[in-house]
Order: sequence, then structure tokens, then C-alpha cells
Amino acid sequence: MKDCKSYSVAPPLADIALRNIWNLDMALDVNTRSETVELLSREADCLKHKLEEERKKLNDVTLANVAERLEEVTFLNIKPRRLLKGNQAKMLCCDWSPDKRHIVSSSQDGKLLIWDAFTSAKEQTVTMPTTWVMACAYSPSGNLVACGGLDNKVTVFNISNPEEDPSAKKKTVGTHTNFMSCCLFPNSDQQILTGSGDATAALWDVESGQMLQSFHGHTGDIMSIDLSPSEIGNTFISGSCDKMLLLWDMRTGQSVQSFEGHLSDINSVKYHPSGDAVASGSDDSTCRMYDLRADKEVAVYSKESILFGVNSIDFSVSGRILFGGYTDYTINAWDSLKCERVSLLYGHENRVTSIKLSPDGTALASASWDASLRVWA
Amino acid sequence: MDKSDRRRRPFAFDKMEGLVREMKDEETGVRVKSQKLFLTSIPSAFAGYNIIEWLMDRLTVDETEAVHIANMLCQYGYFFPVNDSKTLTLKDDSSLYRFQIPYYWPCSQKNPDNVEYAIYLSKRLLRNKQRHALEDYEMDSLNSLKKNLQNKWEFITMQAEEQVRLSKDRKKGEKIVTDSQERAFWRVHRPPPGCVSVMEQIPIKIGGSFSTKKKRSSEDLRREVELLRNCIGRTRVKTSVALDGLVSFGETYNEYDPLITGAQPSNPWVTDDPTFWTFNCPMVEAITEKRIKRWALSMEDLVSDATGLYEFTNYLRKEYSHENIRFWLAVNDLKRSCQSQILQRVREIYDEFLAPGAPCEINIDGKTMERTHKEMKVPSRFTFDGAAEHVYTLLLKKDCYPRFIRSEHYKNLLANGVQPSARRRFFGLVGGAANKKTDCKDRIRSTAGCPSTQGTSSSSVLQANQSSSCSSAKRRGSDRSLTSSPHELPINSVKVSQSHSQSNLSDIPYRGDLPCTPSSPSSNQDNLSGCVEECGEHQLPAMMTDDVCPWDVADGGGGGDKNKRSLPASIAEERERRLSTSSSRKNSGSAAYDSAASADESQSDSVASRLRRSCGLGGGSSMDRRRGSSAACTPQQTIDRPSVSSAEDFDLGPSPESRSPEKQQSTSPHEPAEATSSLDDKLNRKKLLKSLSLARKQSVTPVINVSSVDRDNGCDRISADAVDEMAAATTTVAEDVTSVDGTGPGSGGGQPPETVACCSGAEAATATATATASISDGNDVCPWEDE
Repeated sequence: MKDCKSYSVAPPLADIALRNIWNLDMALDVNTRSETVELLSREADCLKHKLEEERKKLNDVTLANVAERLEEVTFLNIKPRRLLKGNQAKMLCCDWSPDKRHIVSSSQDGKLLIWDAFTSAKEQTVTMPTTWVMACAYSPSGNLVACGGLDNKVTVFNISNPEEDPSAKKKTVGTHTNFMSCCLFPNSDQQILTGSGDATAALWDVESGQMLQSFHGHTGDIMSIDLSPSEIGNTFISGSCDKMLLLWDMRTGQSVQSFEGHLSDINSVKYHPSGDAVASGSDDSTCRMYDLRADKEVAVYSKESILFGVNSIDFSVSGRILFGGYTDYTINAWDSLKCERVSLLYGHENRVTSIKLSPDGTALASASWDASLRVWA
Repeated sequence: MDKSDRRRRPFAFDKMEGLVREMKDEETGVRVKSQKLFLTSIPSAFAGYNIIEWLMDRLTVDETEAVHIANMLCQYGYFFPVNDSKTLTLKDDSSLYRFQIPYYWPCSQKNPDNVEYAIYLSKRLLRNKQRHALEDYEMDSLNSLKKNLQNKWEFITMQAEEQVRLSKDRKKGEKIVTDSQERAFWRVHRPPPGCVSVMEQIPIKIGGSFSTKKKRSSEDLRREVELLRNCIGRTRVKTSVALDGLVSFGETYNEYDPLITGAQPSNPWVTDDPTFWTFNCPMVEAITEKRIKRWALSMEDLVSDATGLYEFTNYLRKEYSHENIRFWLAVNDLKRSCQSQILQRVREIYDEFLAPGAPCEINIDGKTMERTHKEMKVPSRFTFDGAAEHVYTLLLKKDCYPRFIRSEHYKNLLANGVQPSARRRFFGLVGGAANKKTDCKDRIRSTAGCPSTQGTSSSSVLQANQSSSCSSAKRRGSDRSLTSSPHELPINSVKVSQSHSQSNLSDIPYRGDLPCTPSSPSSNQDNLSGCVEECGEHQLPAMMTDDVCPWDVADGGGGGDKNKRSLPASIAEERERRLSTSSSRKNSGSAAYDSAASADESQSDSVASRLRRSCGLGGGSSMDRRRGSSAACTPQQTIDRPSVSSAEDFDLGPSPESRSPEKQQSTSPHEPAEATSSLDDKLNRKKLLKSLSLARKQSVTPVINVSSVDRDNGCDRISADAVDEMAAATTTVAEDVTSVDGTGPGSGGGQPPETVACCSGAEAATATATATASISDGNDVCPWEDE
């Protein structure tokens, strides 16, 4: 088009000149674009370096040193107390009802089971039209459960009436462009927060299915999210296969803090009950803790004898014990302050995929590929 | 970098291979040699205990862990049992194992395909039947492979024959070793059905998923740079300070961590005794001392406990400063409500707390106000966040909360805190009569103390005997209120005439509270007024927002007082609806439904009577009483109720002068309507207040006296009703006691009669108080009587 124009207006020589300019323009454009990317990544690296320097400045003691004054956790008599045998399928996720005794579990065959864990009874079964339901969550009222997985969707069921078939009251709230790996209700039955393999997290309005806020920033699959325990907190954290842990402001959708350190995918993140620190568990077989105020990593929980990755972590009520569910079928209990392992729980016969402390901290539930849930106390 | 990373096998394989390499080290590793077993010699093998010892030594772990690690390595096929090709387990004994060659290590090659498997299987078919015979499952898979790989089958058999031919040239010992290694490799990668396969991966982690495809765009980078810039500017605390915080948090909460210090009386999962949950229901009357102590740790601990929040609100109400907490709760609620309600809720909150002259105007600084006004232009769920934060940090946390913790109210609660640990002894010594007694006392205290908090729910919990099903009851109950509030309506409207007091729920706390001045020492009052509020109003914020302004409602009823006589049911019903909808709206606060729903659900009678009793206690006794009786006889008279009750709000309330000018403003318009004939109402109010408090002080008067006085008055409507009231009260007490009796999980029988007596006595005493109050009302205050 440009050519035509130049022909009609100017002699051939001018046309060539013009074409040259045009080409130059194009080249410049490409150049500047790649340059900006390069510039930006260089700047990012520079900033990262500077940030590390900053963080090191105030680094005066180690956690184990500070925790020296504490007595050891000696009497930790945690044993398997309940065994909930599912179908043949691998259990992928579990969550506690706010009533402290019911558990929802999701499994590889698309079944969602509601258990009365106290009596070990299976109360309800919901079948999803998908396999690998990787996440499930109870709502704060205990009336709804949300789940999702390879179907990329988050689906909500009303399970409040045991006589009714929950799938009759099912609602698809949100859809991601890749699998959904984790979900939770942020203190409300009306909203769901999800993390996905499309590297984003999103906040959904349950009633309308509207996306209230999306969270961009990760460059790998988000594997886990956790909500700040504080009453006024509007923040949550996410851990991803890009080995980053990001802290988000739910209001603005911006990430406000980031932590690096793991050598492999982060599979699980959890807030310390004080809300001042966060922990992560990774495929590199370590768990780490980061303090938000000191803005740095403060502890690594690893042992030479632990070879396998961490799939899920949770804190005890006081934050003193950090539980990790590992691929090697075990659950390790760490003294989060002294950075020592205090207990090793055997029982599962396949990898432990999800562990959750009960709402009142009296028990720990674990889901495993051995098709069972266990309750430890 | 991302790409290569992603393609990489799971991290664990690096670690395992590192360890196995060390194990195979000729100097420091596990010693491998030909082992003699009877007459045969087994080449390149080691015993199970060899490897366990080596692991214990190398990793400094105990035997169990060493066995576990060895078994994991075995399952991944780094070594395998020589004499057992079926199971991949390692035993800590002299059974023999052999290392796998690195070529066959699980991740050194891609997942082997079916062609290779088919070649391997057909190879075995070609060889010595005795030693190489196929297992059943292998036969099956060979057959199915034959079908699926028909076009390649010729190639497969050719390959198999070639390999068999080659192997014939090898030495015998070598042959045994390589055969076993190949077999172990396939055992790992093609396990028999029903066996755990360690090679299975989560589908999402297999193919490089999203992250491999995504290239970081300039936008991503810009975002990252921005984040990093912000992070650098962040203010940090010294690591030592931060860590000290974490450590002291651990110390402080140590005793609240059931997994470390145990639960009182016992951990339900360990002992199968759900008492712990009964004590720790969201709303309880018998609050454990530990729980109360926890409230003093931080404001978060207080407000995250439904009972704590309730007590705190109660306290603030007495101080006339509960608009702050109510505002904060309303804002929290706003954040958590569904999108479609946001606009309306923002408006409601504004009208109630922020608008000039709002009924419950909160006191925030001009700057915050300005910001909020700006935000109001684009209402969102975060509109009031600034104001709420201001209220929370400056007013609630720095002022109200510390005062609450230092207050008599809190000290009283603490003094009356329950010590559930006594129960443990009981469970230890079932049948010990002496123990039983003390124990039951405890129990009575707890349950009788809470005849009503849990109102219906707690007693039903206890009745459920399976107990702790408070939770399951909750699930159901709350459901009802969530999904089917219409169901409740018919029930309630039926009830209206008989228990109109319930429709009055929203008002009650106001009346109920005011007389409960801090000077009244007994916790009974708290309990009683508590019960009403529990069922009605402010256990939950949503409800509060609905009920905030009894005045408003009263306005309708009161303004029209006489004209609206024909509307009683509808008014009451409307209230019910408000109640139920509000409870349904408040989804997040689980406790809300709990009580509201279950209160509606059943035990309507006992609730009604309880409520009535507590209304009576609540201070506006005479009026209520009157209404109670009138309702009993003629539904028509119910009408007075709303109007009068609102009048009482003012009467008994803080004398308007003492309150903020806004409040006074808002009251004034009602006054003419409310007290139509009483021109001297202010005077009367004061009198009434006085007489009430007097009555309260005399509350010790024995039951009988009062009722006899009542009887003396004979036809007097008020006193007759008072008697009714008394009866109701005592029966409920009785009910409560019996329910406790029959249902205490496990504890069952022997209730020490003294406690029953004493607690019913206490109830009676309070009821008496109300009765006296009513009498004095009758004598002293008559403005309404004049009417």
C-alpha cells in the first residue's frame, strides 16, 4: 500500500529511499522490542542482586540460635488414629469442615467423598465428570465444597442436605486455561480463590461466577495458595513451579513480596499462624520458612536422609511444629524453631499428597495415593 | 533454563542416585561379593542387613528409617531381591540383593515403550521354560501387545531371537546377573496389577506444561522489575527481632497447641471423647478458663472466637461504644458478601455508621472520612477498608480491647471460667461415685450455666449423645437458614401469637443489656441476657446490621401504634423474615446459623419461654410481661409490642442526655409516638430506671415471696403474667437440668441435687428480680397503665 502511494506521489528514487526508511523502521521496532526485554531482564537481575544485598544487611542471627532458649519438643506422641479407606483411587486432596470432624477428599477417579472422620464413616459421594480432582475445599459455613482439577474448572457443590444428591446443586464458578491445582474459600462462602497451571490465581464470586480479581506474576504452574490468618488481612501467598513464592494483595491484584530459594517446584505454601512468616515445601525435598517482616528466608528444614519431595505442609496451632507430607510415604514433623526433625510418621503406603491440620489443631489429616486418608493425633 | 529444568526428572532421582553411587563404591560402599547359599553360589550380591547398616552409618538414622529408605530405593529399582522377582521389598536380614546397573536406573532413559517390553517378553518365551517362564500377568500383557503391535510383530520376534542368540555367548554367571537385572527393570516399569508403581507421575508434572511454553514477555518483566523495586524500598526489621517474634509466638501459644501440650479434658481423636468439642463450640455459655485466657493474648484471638466476640460486643454495648465493633464487623461482612449485594450493603453501612447524623455514627478522623467519601463514589467491597482499619487499629485494638481485658466484665468471666481438666479424672475412674459428684457439678455448671447460649443447639447437642454433633447439627441447621428460609417462616408465624417474644428478638438485647450495668455482679444476668441475644441478634454481625436500629422498626410500629392494631402478625412476621434472611446472608459466620437456625427449628416452646423469661429479666419487664399475657389471651394485643419495646429502649437506656447528640436527635421524633400520653416521660423513665435497679439489687428475694405477692395482687394483669413468667422460667430450668441429666455424654446419672437446686435457685432469683421489677413498675411508673 505504501508502495502504491509512493509511486503515485514521488519518482522511483524517492520510493527506494522511502522503502529503506520503512525497513529501517521495522528493524528498529524489532530491535527496541528485544532490547526492552533484554534491558528489563538485565534490570531485573540487577535489582535481584541488590535486593539480596539489602536482605543480608540486617541478617544478624539464625533462627536456631534464637530458639536455643526454648525447651525441646519432647513428648510428641502422634499416632494414626483413624483410617478412612476410599475406593481404589488415589486421594489427591483433603480439607476439614469447620465443624472439626468432617473431611472432604478428592481423588484421581473424580470422586469427592464427605467423611465423618470421627466415626470413620463415608457420608456422601459426589462424582465429577473428570479425573484427577486435585483440589477440594470446605466453605466456612460447612455448607459448600469446591473442587477442581484437570477439568480446569472450579465447581461448587452444596452438601448441606445429606438426603439430597449434591450434584443436583452444582455450580461451575470459574474456569482457568489450564488445570486448577488449589482452591480455598477466603473466609466467605461467597468467594473462591483458585490457583492454576496457567500461572495465575483468581478470585471468583460464587453466586455470579464473575472473576473479581486475577493475579498475574508467576511464570510457572501455581501449585498452592494460602490465605493470611489475620482477621483484617487481605493478602495471600502462592507457590509455583517457577520456584517462587509470591505474596499478593487481594485488593489490587499486585504481588507485594517475593521469595526465592528452592531448587525445584514449590508444591505447597502455608502461613505461619502468627501471620508474620510463611513456609513452603518443594520437590527439592526441603521446606523453608520466610519471615515477612525481615523479608528473608529464615530456616531450611532438610536432612540428608530425606530424598524425596514435599507435597504438602501445615503448621500446628502454635506454629512450633511444621508437618510435611512427602513423596516417600512419610510425614515429617519439624520443630520449626529449632529446625530439627522431631518425629517421623509412617503409615501410608504411597506418596502423601495432602496434609491438613484440623481447624482446632487437635488432629492432622493426610491424603495419600494409597487410596486412604489418615487422621493423626 | 526453564525448559531444561522442566524436562528434568524429579529432583529426588539426583539424590537417590548420589546415594546409590556411594553405596556402590568399592572402598566405602556396601560390600558386594559372591554369596554362598547352601551349595549354590550367588554372584554379585549383598545381604539386606549389609545395606541397612551402611545406611544407618552413612546417614546417621535409626534402623526404622534406614529400612524405609532402603525399601524406597528398592522400589525404584536401584537394587532388587535376588530370589524374589515378585515383590520389591528389602528385609533387614540375610536375604540377598543385587545392584541394578546404571543403564537400568529408573530415570536414565525415557520411559521404556511397549515395543521394548514386547521384545523382552518374547525373548523370555524363547528361553528355558523352567527358569524364564512368564507370570500370568506377563502372559496377558504379551497377548494384548501382540494384538496392538501386530504390524511390528515380525520385527519384535526377530529382535528377540537375535538377543537370545547373543546371550548364549556369555558366561553363565554374567548371564544370571544381567537376566535378573533386566527382569528387575521391567518389574519396576511394568509392575504386576495391584502393585504400587513408583514410576507413576502426576499428569500435570509429566509433559512440560504451561511454563515450558510460556515465554516471558516484556510485560512480565516489567511487572517483575516493579515488584523488585518495591521490594528493595521495603522497610525491614532486624532478623533477630523478627525471629524473636516467632519464637515468643511459639512460646505463648504452646499451651494452646493440642498436638504439643494436649487438649483439655482430652483430645477427642485420642480418647474418643468429644467433650473437648463441646467446650469449644463457637458459642458456649460455659467458657473454659483457657479459652478466656486466650482472649487476652491478642485482639485477633478475641474476635476470632465467636463467644469472645460476643462478650466483647456485650461489654462495649454496656459502655455505649459498640458502634465501632459493629461497624468493623459490618465492613468485614461487606468484604465477604456476594458481588450482587455490594452496592446495597455499602449504602446500608454508610447510612448507619457514616452519614451525618447516622443512628450509630462512628468517630473517625476527617482525613479518613474524606477518603471514604471519595471511595463511596465507586462503591466496592473495599470502600470502607480505610475507615475500618482506622477503627480497628486505633479505636478497637488500642483502646477498647485493652479496656475490655482490664475490665471487671472480663475478670468475672475469667473467674467463672470452667476447668474441664476435672473431667479427665472422671473418665479415668468411671464408677467412682465421689468423683462422679464433683464431676457432675462441673457439668451442671457448664450446662446449666448455658441453658440458653447454645440455647437449643447446645442442649440438642447433649441430647444427641453422640454429641459433638453440634457440628453436624450446625451443618444441617445452617443449611436450612441458608437455602430455605421460607421453611422457617411458616413455623415462626405459627408461633407468633404464642411466642411473640421471639419476633422481638432483635429488640431484646437492647432492653436486656441496659439494666445489666456493670454494677450487677452476678454472671447470671449475663447468662440470661446472653441467651436472648444469642438467639436473636448480635452473635453475628450481619444480624446486627439488621437490627441496629430498633428505633427504626419501632418507628413503624410505634408511630402507628393505635392505627396499626390489625397488623400485629405481619409486623412480627416481617421481623422473622428479617431475622432469617439476615442469618442466611451471613454465611461466613458459621455460628450465626447455628443458633438462629436451630432456634427456629425446634424446641419452639422452650425457646419461647426462655426468651420470655429473659425478656422479663431484660428490664423492660413490666411491659413485656403485659404483652406476654395479652398475647396469650388475645392476639390483638400483640400490636403494642414493637412500639412499646422501642419505647423501653429509651426508657431504660442511657438517659438520652448522657448520649451523643445524634442519638438524642434520633430519639426525639419517636417520643411523641411512643409515649403518647406520658408527657412526663423523662421523669418517669428515671424513676423506672431507679426502681428497676432497686429491684435488681433485691434480686435475692426468695421465689415464693414474690409469687405470693403476685398472687395477692390477684387480678392484676401484670403480676399474673409475672407468675406465668416465673413458671416458664423455672420449667425451662428444669428442662435444662433434665436434659443435662439424661444426656451428658457418658456421664449420665448422678446429679448432685444441690447444684440443681442452686442453679434453678439462681434462675429463680433472677426471675424474681424481674417480677419485683414488674411490680415496682406497676406501682411506680404507671405511664403506660394510664393509657
